[in-house]
Amino acid sequence: MTTDVVERPPQTPPAPPAASPPVTGRMRPTVIADSAGGMWAWLLQRVTAVVLIIGLLTHLVATHIFNIGHLSYLNIGDRLGSTFFVVIDVSLLAAAIFHGLNGARMVVLDYWLESRAGRRALSIALWVFGSAVFAYGLWALWPWISR
Amino acid sequence: MTPVDAAATNVGAGNWKGLGMWAWLLFRVAGIVLVVYLFAHIGVISTARLGGRSTLNSAFDLFDHPLFVLLDLLLVWAVLFHALNGVRILLMDFGLGIHRHKLVFAACMAVAVISLGFFAFKAFAYIAAHHAGGLGGLI
Repeated sequence: MTTDVVERPPQTPPAPPAASPPVTGRMRPTVIADSAGGMWAWLLQRVTAVVLIIGLLTHLVATHIFNIGHLSYLNIGDRLGSTFFVVIDVSLLAAAIFHGLNGARMVVLDYWLESRAGRRALSIALWVFGSAVFAYGLWALWPWISR
Repeated sequence: MTPVDAAATNVGAGNWKGLGMWAWLLFRVAGIVLVVYLFAHIGVISTARLGGRSTLNSAFDLFDHPLFVLLDLLLVWAVLFHALNGVRILLMDFGLGIHRHKLVFAACMAVAVISLGFFAFKAFAYIAAHHAGGLGGLI
């Protein structure tokens, strides 16, 4: 790529598209670019982003601005005693795990895993891992929620 | 060279010259920091169930140290930058402000910096109130 853009020659008409190479186990570059990540993951990433903006704002303001001072087991329990904060915290848990793991997946897909099988394996592994972390997080919060 | 030419030479002249590329890089770095923090956070909170409430309370005692309060502030910056740059990305997805990219970015960053100010004020007030030496406790 030239770095001397100021003096570049007048634009030539685009070359006709090259014939697609045969599809083997690896995705063609154009297909990778078109489908990187997938539509549903893209959409869910946006939906969880909105959940996180609202939820994290509530979470951070409640914890650090209107605060409760020194955090402790008991004052976390006071906050989680209200249905409102249970809904906020549990939806934050789910949204943050999806958003974080899908974001990490997008970083991985930018550099590695060009084969369909590898991409699918990564997605399945992350769904299994994410579901386990969500279940663990819910288990950890349960003594407060069920009080 | 006119300002328009100067802006145009950024296109294809090396990705690292554009403001957007730095926004992208910081967005990604903040995202990775946040996903690591998320799992650490779940781990710390779960010690209440794993080791009992005193385990969690002693973790909170540790986090009261001024150094951890400052790290919290850094974390708040990661959240704010990632969230507000994310707002810009959402707006672009809806086709809003596409011709005003840098203005939208500047507006988002203004919101992020002002919000950080609130959290910084709270953090330093907290350190001052709970640690006699203030930040001197760090040294």
